[in-house]
Amino acid sequence: MAMSAVARDTVFALRRQIAKIEGTLPERLEAPASGAPADTARSDITVVRRGLVVASPDAFLHTGIERLDTALGGGLPKATLSEIHGLETRDAGAVAGFALSLTSLILKEKQGLPILWIGTAEIFREAGFPYARGLQILFGIEPEQLLFSEAPKLLDALWIAEEAARMTAFAAVILEIRGNPQRLDLTATRRLHARAQSAGRPVLLLRQAGAAEPTSAPVRLIVSAAPAASRETLAGPLAGSIGRPAFTVDIGKSRTALPGQFTLEWNPDEHAFEERRRGEERRSDEERRPQEERAANPVAVVPVPVRGADPAPASGAVLAFPAVGSPAAGDQPSRQQRPAHRSPRRAG
Amino acid sequence: MISHRDSNAQRIAALDERAEALKLKRGMGIADARAMHPSIDVVEADPEADRRLLEGLADWCDRYTPLVAIDGEDGLFLDVTGCTHLFGGERAMQDEILTRFFQQGFDVRAGLASTPGAAWAAARFHGDRIVAGGEEEALLAPLPLSALRIAPETRASLESVGLRTAGAVMAAPRAPLARRFGATLLLRLDQALGRLDEAVSPRLPVAPLSVERHLAEPIMLTDDIERLVSRLAVALKVDLERRGEGARALALLLFRVDGAVSRIAVGTSRPMREPQLIRRLFHERLAALEQNIDAGFGFDLVRLSVLSVAAFDMLQGDLAGEVADDDADIALFADRIRARLGEAAVLKPVVVESHLPERAVTTVPFAEAPQRRMPPKQSDRTAPPMTIFPPERPVRLFRSPEPIEVPATEIPEGPPMNFRWRRALYRVARAEGPERIAAEWWRQLPGEDEAPTRDYYRIEDSEGRRYWLYRQGLYSSAAQAAPRWFMHGVFA
Repeated sequence: MAMSAVARDTVFALRRQIAKIEGTLPERLEAPASGAPADTARSDITVVRRGLVVASPDAFLHTGIERLDTALGGGLPKATLSEIHGLETRDAGAVAGFALSLTSLILKEKQGLPILWIGTAEIFREAGFPYARGLQILFGIEPEQLLFSEAPKLLDALWIAEEAARMTAFAAVILEIRGNPQRLDLTATRRLHARAQSAGRPVLLLRQAGAAEPTSAPVRLIVSAAPAASRETLAGPLAGSIGRPAFTVDIGKSRTALPGQFTLEWNPDEHAFEERRRGEERRSDEERRPQEERAANPVAVVPVPVRGADPAPASGAVLAFPAVGSPAAGDQPSRQQRPAHRSPRRAG
Repeated sequence: MISHRDSNAQRIAALDERAEALKLKRGMGIADARAMHPSIDVVEADPEADRRLLEGLADWCDRYTPLVAIDGEDGLFLDVTGCTHLFGGERAMQDEILTRFFQQGFDVRAGLASTPGAAWAAARFHGDRIVAGGEEEALLAPLPLSALRIAPETRASLESVGLRTAGAVMAAPRAPLARRFGATLLLRLDQALGRLDEAVSPRLPVAPLSVERHLAEPIMLTDDIERLVSRLAVALKVDLERRGEGARALALLLFRVDGAVSRIAVGTSRPMREPQLIRRLFHERLAALEQNIDAGFGFDLVRLSVLSVAAFDMLQGDLAGEVADDDADIALFADRIRARLGEAAVLKPVVVESHLPERAVTTVPFAEAPQRRMPPKQSDRTAPPMTIFPPERPVRLFRSPEPIEVPATEIPEGPPMNFRWRRALYRVARAEGPERIAAEWWRQLPGEDEAPTRDYYRIEDSEGRRYWLYRQGLYSSAAQAAPRWFMHGVFA
């Protein structure tokens, strides 16, 4: 037992070392209670690299989902290279959608700055070219803000990305690559990461149909599509309809090394994420949502009945035969119906 | 000896001195020539290659004057007005040109005169002669009629009436000549004698500004070329500043020692005059062309020309002397990528008013795109006014819709139950639609069949991915072709 505690201490000490080298605050790591006091004192020091206060709260992009932010250690780091993986090429829509959601969040702070989307000719042919109309409707990114760059070869795409990553004129740079090319190795990602760090702008590396490889990006997220919830109408969810975009996000790599899977839903009206709790079925989600929303918006959707509040629902269970109408369903039952309505309950 | 095919017979098109010594002539049949001298060497004529060679020579002559014109199949006009003093006078210049051509292995005749007509005659009938102003008449008078650059028919009819030299034509009364032989004869005569101006049309537009440097020691390395470019750009900047303009297109001409000329052009999306920026653009271009530029024994003349200019708006910098202009940064970035990877490397989407999804957004190269308005305003968008519920559009659209196999639909006009796309089977969990998008009748040619309508469906498959499918055509009558299904886009 004592051995394992010592080993744990060593592990945490090592992690703290790594965290310092990488430029993040070590206190976010759940340090053991028995940690040396000298170490905790040192953990308050903000590590400054390349003239940038990396660990300042402003350095993170808050996704708006508390659990995800905590798991990532405060949010997605802004001035870095972040990898977003899709396991298959057919996930390209979800991966692009998630990256664009993040871009849309970035654009909330940097209004009007353009976005550069670099891709190889291969990925644009396989997965489709980004469609400016769709981006405008869903993510509020104006067509004038968009710049695309289609490179015939991977080397050219990497060159463009490196040149773009060092510029501050872009709100974000998206680089899209398919598969696991040999050229996109630790060195290439390191160069991109270093440029993003010094420019203070995010570079999103979308890797379609790529397996996890050693990378210099501090964060790797694995995104796939999640079944969408139904559309909301005044009468409740509309059965069989396809609502807002939803993504399943796995944390593949992060500094805190906390695992997690999240189902996020993008709200195209508010331009914000909403989380769908794990394990909840779509149906229960549909049932829960209207009540929640009613609680959030106290204004009655339907006029309040003239004769006061609805009567309380009947207690007990109907055993003998079905009820003619539940009291909550509509008006008060008529005088003739009432005895018939009440009698089975008494019998029960 | 070079042969060419003329009216179904192989004839001699050109021949060298040794062949001439054998009493062979131009226009003689090859069969006759072979009968006279069976050992002659005959090569088929290649007018294309001749043309390319002449253009290469014209490029090389750019080093003497920007006004170089190609004359017929075997001549070049160089307008050296105002250039001769750079080479030490007319005589020295002509000697230098002839020497250099001789060293490259060409047998060249040259003539220099105040009028193109006289220079033409001097070059073809004297070989190496400089005609001073006013001496044109004396030069032309003893020459045969072909020195006047007139059509062979005119020449033959003039000769038939006894006018055999240019001098005889000049002495003859003008009015009957004009009446009988047309205005062209007198026009050529007047042009040759300088009574009328003749414009030589240069093969390349004259650059508004250009600077060049002759090098005693030829350079070969790309780094040296770049360094020289920035030196030349510094000289260029002064001129551009004086004119209040910036360069929109630049060309770098590299004259190789052995006569080959490389021409490297870059375009800019905004007027530019900073030497450092110009150097960076050429850096990218040279990096892209590294394999294609053969320095050989080096370049001995480097010229930087501004091909087109535009008004340059000065920007107020802050006290630190820096102008923070994001748009300028992006324009430079796009120019550099364009210089290295070509025109279509940076694309900008432009919204077009159209129903068809693939036409509604087009991408144009960055340099041709309309300037971005800062900040983008909600009111004056080119997009149609947004409705409260805009139609759902995918985040990715395939460049060309991909055909899919749909085995069955629940109801004839309904969404598919499953489909096969790129050899994989997809099971449809939910579907929304259809959204019918008809073809645009105003783009249809008269008499053409109406293009089939498209019914778009949003589909979610069993794994939660969302797609945009459409059915082209209707399940109506048996006469029409069966409708086809296509995959057009992917939703987030």
